[in-house]
Amino acid sequence: MKVKLEKTYPVAASADAAWKFLQDIKSVASCMPGAEITEQSDETHFKGMVKIKIGPAVASFKGEIEVQGIDAEKRELILLGKGADSKGSSSASMLLTASIRETENGQCELIGRSEVTVNGKMANFGGRMMDAISERILQQFADNFANNVIAMGEGSDAEAAAVKVAEAPKELNGIAIIWQLVTDFMNKLFGREPKSS
Amino acid sequence: MAATAESLERKEKLQGIGCSRKRKEDPRFIQGKGIYVDDVKLPGMVYGALVRSPHAHARIKSINKEKALALPGVITVLTADDLKPLNLHWMPTLGSDVQAVLADEKVGFQLQEVAMVIAEERYIAADGVDLVEVEYEELPAITDPHKSMDPDAPIIREDLVGKDEVGHGKRLHDNHIFTWEAGDKDSTDAVFDKAEVTIKEEILNPRVHPCPIETCGCVASFDKINGHLTVHMTTQNSHLVRTVLAMLSGIPESKIRVITNDIGGGFGNKVPIYPGYVVAIVASIVLGRPVKWIESRIENLSTTGFARDYHGTAELAADKEGHIQALRFNVLADHGAFNAHVSATKWPAGLFSICTGSYDIPTAYVKVDAVFTNKAPGGVAYRCSLRVTEAVYLIERMIDILAQKLNIDKAEIRRRNFIQADQFPYNTSLGWTLDSGNYGPALDKVLKAVDYEGLRKEQAEKRAKGELMGIGISTFTEIVGAGPTKACDILGIGLFDSCEIRVNPTGSAIARMGTQSQGQGHETTYAQIIATELGIPSDEIQVEEGDTDKAPYGAGTWGSRTTPVGAAAVTKAARKIRDKARKIAAHLLEVSEDDLEWDVDQFRVKGVPDQVKTMKEIAMAAYSNVPEGMENGLEAVDYYDPPNFTFPFGAYVCVIDIDPQTGEIKVRRFYALDDCGTRINDMIIEGQIHGGLTEAFAVSMGQLIDFDEEGNLLGNSLMDYFVPTAVETPHWETDYTVTPSPHHPLGAKGVAESPHVGGIPCFSNAVIDALSHLGVTHVDMPHTAARIWKKLHELGVAK
Amino acid sequence: MSKTQVNFILNGQPVEVLVEPRELLIHVLREQLLQTGSHIGCETSHCGACTVDFNGESVKSCTLFAVQAQDAKVITVEGLVSNGELHPLQQAFMDEHGLQCGYCTPGMLMRSYRLLQENPDPTEAEIRQGISGNLCRCTGYQNIIKSIQKAAAVINESGHDEAKSA
Repeated sequence: MKVKLEKTYPVAASADAAWKFLQDIKSVASCMPGAEITEQSDETHFKGMVKIKIGPAVASFKGEIEVQGIDAEKRELILLGKGADSKGSSSASMLLTASIRETENGQCELIGRSEVTVNGKMANFGGRMMDAISERILQQFADNFANNVIAMGEGSDAEAAAVKVAEAPKELNGIAIIWQLVTDFMNKLFGREPKSS
Repeated sequence: MAATAESLERKEKLQGIGCSRKRKEDPRFIQGKGIYVDDVKLPGMVYGALVRSPHAHARIKSINKEKALALPGVITVLTADDLKPLNLHWMPTLGSDVQAVLADEKVGFQLQEVAMVIAEERYIAADGVDLVEVEYEELPAITDPHKSMDPDAPIIREDLVGKDEVGHGKRLHDNHIFTWEAGDKDSTDAVFDKAEVTIKEEILNPRVHPCPIETCGCVASFDKINGHLTVHMTTQNSHLVRTVLAMLSGIPESKIRVITNDIGGGFGNKVPIYPGYVVAIVASIVLGRPVKWIESRIENLSTTGFARDYHGTAELAADKEGHIQALRFNVLADHGAFNAHVSATKWPAGLFSICTGSYDIPTAYVKVDAVFTNKAPGGVAYRCSLRVTEAVYLIERMIDILAQKLNIDKAEIRRRNFIQADQFPYNTSLGWTLDSGNYGPALDKVLKAVDYEGLRKEQAEKRAKGELMGIGISTFTEIVGAGPTKACDILGIGLFDSCEIRVNPTGSAIARMGTQSQGQGHETTYAQIIATELGIPSDEIQVEEGDTDKAPYGAGTWGSRTTPVGAAAVTKAARKIRDKARKIAAHLLEVSEDDLEWDVDQFRVKGVPDQVKTMKEIAMAAYSNVPEGMENGLEAVDYYDPPNFTFPFGAYVCVIDIDPQTGEIKVRRFYALDDCGTRINDMIIEGQIHGGLTEAFAVSMGQLIDFDEEGNLLGNSLMDYFVPTAVETPHWETDYTVTPSPHHPLGAKGVAESPHVGGIPCFSNAVIDALSHLGVTHVDMPHTAARIWKKLHELGVAK
Repeated sequence: MSKTQVNFILNGQPVEVLVEPRELLIHVLREQLLQTGSHIGCETSHCGACTVDFNGESVKSCTLFAVQAQDAKVITVEGLVSNGELHPLQQAFMDEHGLQCGYCTPGMLMRSYRLLQENPDPTEAEIRQGISGNLCRCTGYQNIIKSIQKAAAVINESGHDEAKSA
């Protein structure tokens, strides 16, 4: 099944800094919760894996990332990630278009457009939660991205961001995501806005 | 001769036709002693589990068995390449197509069978499945049948490229299977062109699954020494399976034995032959050990025997008073990746042309186009005869829509169109001869029972207050009992059925049939028929089915054919025995046959009440003292080829309330009147109707086998698939009239499917009736709270 | 995989089995102890065909590991008959046509058995709620409910309420 999302996230840093970081594929990949680049095949192809932790079970998705385009003028990066779980019962792909746009306050924002396709067991069971989960993952990606960019700078904000980067979980925590979805849902029910972090 | 009190007493003791005899099957079931296929355990038995594709459409690039084979306890892993030398990697389907037993280079639906792991233990087989590494190249999938015939649609069946037909006439596209038509197109079009009123609606019978609580499975056991193959399996039609297995394997049919003990519900799901059975059989032949394969629930819902997926465009032409003048139905049928639809050879769209229903419609035309999609194959008749629910749903919905358009009451419009009692036998414009019916009185009886007028008044009051109440009516006619062998065969075998009865010297009897109970209580009701016909107490009649070595050949139990066909064979076999018994009695009493009359359980000389020979005495004489020239013994076989189908009917009313806040539908009342002709056992009939109505409720209110665009099944376990619990299930009220079939030896018609077929449109009609004042003419099933809630918002009436 | 010894009381008799830690109770009951009355109908604990009485509670034996049965008191449908006599529930299911294919019946009986101990005189609504963890595709539940009501009346009159193994 397919889920398309387009979201804009403010980044408290300059557009130049953000764009510089965006071109570092390995680092960008590591902003994906639980993702890690393990090998670079050539200029535009990387191998990597995503770990998902659901309770005591850890599933690992092995896959490939292809850089489909870098456009310095538009400050835009297009990545295609594809993977399958090691048992071959599920597979997923994500076409991510990330671009940086300068904002009026001298800072910038990250525009993320993602198209996630999930096949196999994960689609059979998880289908009805896909929209919410994709949104949550993209949000975590944007948070990590912002922290990484800020941490590149100097001063107390940068130090604080560096701490957050170091503390970021090393796997995608399924239960935490589901819990957050539940609390978001409850908040909506009681008329509160979902937490942004 | 008037029945005396004494003979009535004897009659009652027999427990024959018409009594609510308690079931013979029950003592074993309530003590946990039924024998279902997973209870079968043979010495040296090993277990098979299937590796399945996560993709709906993909090329198989490689299969690596090594890790699985290295696992202690794994005996072998079979793939299409292993079956190829035996020519068993493909098999014929019941729809004149072929189906991959194990995927041959390509998969066409999600969870298609790719390999089987055979292991010493069940758990190890499952572990082995996880270790088989299959590399796929994904291909674009088609899940919307409307896109199957697009010019640039991906080709689903490369093996059929260049073949311009798949058993049923010309194909129009690589993803097209057949076009089937009935009726007169030109005259139908002509009526539509000049009709005062025409209506048109897109009506979907969504893809659903019968979901019996027991899944499918088998234990295959090949004896290498004498070449015998025994298969214990979940099948509703063991003889047909045996024939297919003989064709497939080359083993002589006489050396194949298919055994079916108890079945945990079928509802059509256990008619086809599935790849799992075939691979287990091959594995047993290869290994020389018994192999057990049992489906999981997910496998059952995902890959075996779905039903419906009929996308209809329905039209009626009528005059201003609501008299229907013509019917035109066009259907796009989604058959999945292989055409494994269960259908008789000459009827690729089954009995869909029963769609003129209970109505006198002079002109009609129907057309069904079937296409391939990347979905599971195996379209079965889910508690109905082939494609009959689809047909009845369309006509019963359309007549409601016509009533709404003309502002005529929904009961009244039916009365105006009913075939009248004196028109039977009635030839429909689509070629069927309806045997008997009496529709008006049945409807009137129901309307009176529920106080229809009072309900309509209440509805009007509620509408004034903004409340949503719906009254659904369904006055359906079914077609069951496939079927006359001239018209119906499967793989060349006519759809007769059979019975063999032997009366023992001491007067008890054993009877064997070609049909197969899946919970309908054949052991009980067949004995009742024989009891009445032969005067042998039901309790002394042993009924056996489901062992091809013992029973005569029959087409099995599906499409409500047991009573119309099987029970007729039973009756006729019994009558053959009674004829012989009469001869023996005449011989013993030294009178002519004409001087004898039958009285419950004995022949007696007319006018001489004490000159009698009981069936018990006759049975003994059959083995010791027969007239000269007569063979000893008292037995008979009958193969019954019905002269026509039977046409049960019914009138149902359903009353619902919709909660405008949640979209939840509450069934307040459901009143079902069925006419199945002569009734053999009221208790069992009523049980069948409760069950059928509950399945109708499930289909209309929640069941859906749904896919995303990539061909992923969205929900294929009982977490998502709706099987009503006791909480949701409504209370059922039942009633009946009796209009016997003129051509059936007992006048019986069959009943188990009527409540499903007639119930589904009744629920939908109630739901749409609740919204009809808002201009709604149709909403597709399932009527889940979420979908209704959405509709209420669209209509601006949600609270 | 190493095996563990498990001892429990099954239908009044002590039993001892060697099981893998991952083995489900339903498989051990059916395959090792050959009590095939309890059935399997799904793998998500929805259908209830495997329901057994476990330390005085209705439990779906597909959701328990066999090792969890250590020292437990388990009753299956095979344990409902006492002194050769059918339990009133079994009799009532026969009398009221509370079963058809028989596949859900053992689970349904075991659930009803416990339901009537929890609530000896349930209303129709309470019965519907009480058996909602057990699915039946054949009967539409109506005659099952009648059967349970009838059994309740018989038990309340005669005081018969225990399986032999309880």
